[in-house]
Amino acid sequence: MAEDNDYLEKIKTQQKEWEENVLQKRVKRFNLKESPTKFYSPLSTIKNDFCEKIGFPGQYPYTAGNNPFDFWRAYAGDAAKMGYRPDWGGAGGVGKYGGFGTAEDYRDYLIRMHSMGRTGGPNMAFDLVTQCGYDSDSPFAEGEVGRVGVAIDTFRDFATIYEPYTGGLEIDKVPSNFTINAPAAVIIAMYAVLADKRGIPLKKLKGTPQNDILKEFIARGTYIFPPNQSLRLFRDTCVFCTQFLPELNINSMGGYHIREAGASRVQDLAFSMANAAAYLQAGIDGGLAVDLFAPKFTFNAFGGSMEIYQEIAFQRAARRIYARMLKERFHAKNPRSMLIRQPITAHIGCSSTTLQRPLNNLTRAVVGGMAAGMSGGMPGAFPPFDEPMGLGHSQEAVQLQLDATRILIYEAKVSDVNDPWAGSYFMESLTDEIEEQTMAEMEKVENMGGAVAAIENGYMQKAIAKSAYQKQRKIDKQEEFVIGVNCYTGQNEIHVKVNREVEASYDPALMKSAEKRQKEKLSRVKRERDNTTVRSLLSTLRQHAEDEAVNLMPDICKCVENDVSLQEICDVLRDVFGEFQQAKL
Amino acid sequence: MNQKRKIRVLVAKPGLDGHERGAHVVAYGLRDAGFEVIYTGLRQTTEQIVNAAIQEDVDVIGLSILSGAHVSLTRKVMDELKNQKAGDIMVIVGGIVPDEDIMELKEMGVREVFTAGTPISAISGFIESAIPAD
Repeated sequence: MAEDNDYLEKIKTQQKEWEENVLQKRVKRFNLKESPTKFYSPLSTIKNDFCEKIGFPGQYPYTAGNNPFDFWRAYAGDAAKMGYRPDWGGAGGVGKYGGFGTAEDYRDYLIRMHSMGRTGGPNMAFDLVTQCGYDSDSPFAEGEVGRVGVAIDTFRDFATIYEPYTGGLEIDKVPSNFTINAPAAVIIAMYAVLADKRGIPLKKLKGTPQNDILKEFIARGTYIFPPNQSLRLFRDTCVFCTQFLPELNINSMGGYHIREAGASRVQDLAFSMANAAAYLQAGIDGGLAVDLFAPKFTFNAFGGSMEIYQEIAFQRAARRIYARMLKERFHAKNPRSMLIRQPITAHIGCSSTTLQRPLNNLTRAVVGGMAAGMSGGMPGAFPPFDEPMGLGHSQEAVQLQLDATRILIYEAKVSDVNDPWAGSYFMESLTDEIEEQTMAEMEKVENMGGAVAAIENGYMQKAIAKSAYQKQRKIDKQEEFVIGVNCYTGQNEIHVKVNREVEASYDPALMKSAEKRQKEKLSRVKRERDNTTVRSLLSTLRQHAEDEAVNLMPDICKCVENDVSLQEICDVLRDVFGEFQQAKL
Repeated sequence: MNQKRKIRVLVAKPGLDGHERGAHVVAYGLRDAGFEVIYTGLRQTTEQIVNAAIQEDVDVIGLSILSGAHVSLTRKVMDELKNQKAGDIMVIVGGIVPDEDIMELKEMGVREVFTAGTPISAISGFIESAIPAD
């Protein structure tokens, strides 16, 4: 120890001398107040204990990664030889996120994809009408039916989408993703009823519903009921899935939506963790042991900025914070409970892309891929460069995105080392800094009473809106620079244009007529079904909704099975639970 | 000195679109630029928006739409304004709007469309030059 102290004293002396004689001299020479760059020495990491703070990859606290190596590394060579395309899906994976029009339109689109060899499970985008718990014949639906995703009114729509999923693509063989939150219970019930009708054991169903309602209040906006009642529905799905659909992931939480809404890095992490804590508590309150369900929690995609060092530290800090929270606060014992499982890791966030000189977004995405590759994820360059152009991703942009990722993997070999920054004076101190700031912000939220309280009083929403505005002000005042947007916009620059042949996946004519067709279908279902049963089921649902202790999933399943519509179910719950009113900013 | 009435702006989110960042940033920015800003919050019907604009006696409605439904939603606002004889209220639109749709929006009477990367000063400057000082 004495030797260590001598060593550190020596560095301290040298650092002081360096700052005075070397650094300050240069700072003065360029007429600056302080140095524009930083340098980190062993003094930055005196407090670091490798075993406690970093650990080996795949070991607590998972700072260095979830696994000694990821599954895709095992097959990287084969994937290259076979020309595997992740956007096509395939055995055991979901296809590209999509959905539009009526269930028939989306079904036909999926059949077309299958005929091209793109056989991934459905990765469903729902229209805003469905996401907000309305049917296609609601006045709120006008103009929005089938627009940003597929319209689902009744179980018949859901079953239609799955018509091509039989045989080798049966639902016990391919997983499904559902980007649905407020009415997640209804969609999960539809999935269970579908399996039941097909004679598939529920325990074999795979997939991921987003089912992350808390971030809707602060970031994405498709909430219906107040936070507490929403959390009760989450509890019901959590218990139901754990009991009957143990292969299904329970949720896909937070992260990038919150950052995209404008949150700072620390707010994003702290609020995501506070939300996760609320879900974990909901499962425990539902009578489940934490290790029974926490392994089926997933995260969507943490990260979302161009700041490569910070995004690497962020992933490391996130893994450590979550693992510690599960172990110390929720007393998890199963290592799987402690992992942040996410399909996309570090990335630049879609809001970092620019409409100006859009090919630059490819360069930006590569930076995000580097951050991912150097922080425990696949070096995925995301999103495609034409993301901000608002027409859907072109084939060309998707090709370049895939190639960028491949170049990082196979040519640059970014993923040959786990956590290459481990032990770096700089990266360890930055990871500590992000962790400390996040813990402080989380404590603030916990002191308010947790995530639900911090949503009800508007704290999270206001904090995010303020951060978004501060960021814009910095850009407007040229305190931060965005190439081609607030600098390098002069006549010496060439405004590079690119050709895109946008894939006509979604027929505009079908999209236009979707509302009419969907409404006709719904009115036919409402005529044909047994309306006496419907009324009785809805009345039982109402009765049970009023009793907080009752799990509503069995009732919702019965409703779904008898063609009760999504809005009819949500309307009963609206009556009993009330609707969320956002606090004024 | 002449006491000038502040220009009043209604920032509105029509339809079910929940992307609120742009609306928040523009509302804060215009307020700091000296405008009187009213923000409707999410999920407003076009009727609610026009009624709010008339009740609040605003000079400008700023519609923020990122769901792709900008053409149909904006048309409904423009029609509703005409029906209520409030066609003098200036309408501007912000969001993800492809170039070809910008023409269509302008043809229906939208004065300007602001897409991603627009500095706040461009929006405040446009409003100030378009609204005659009284």
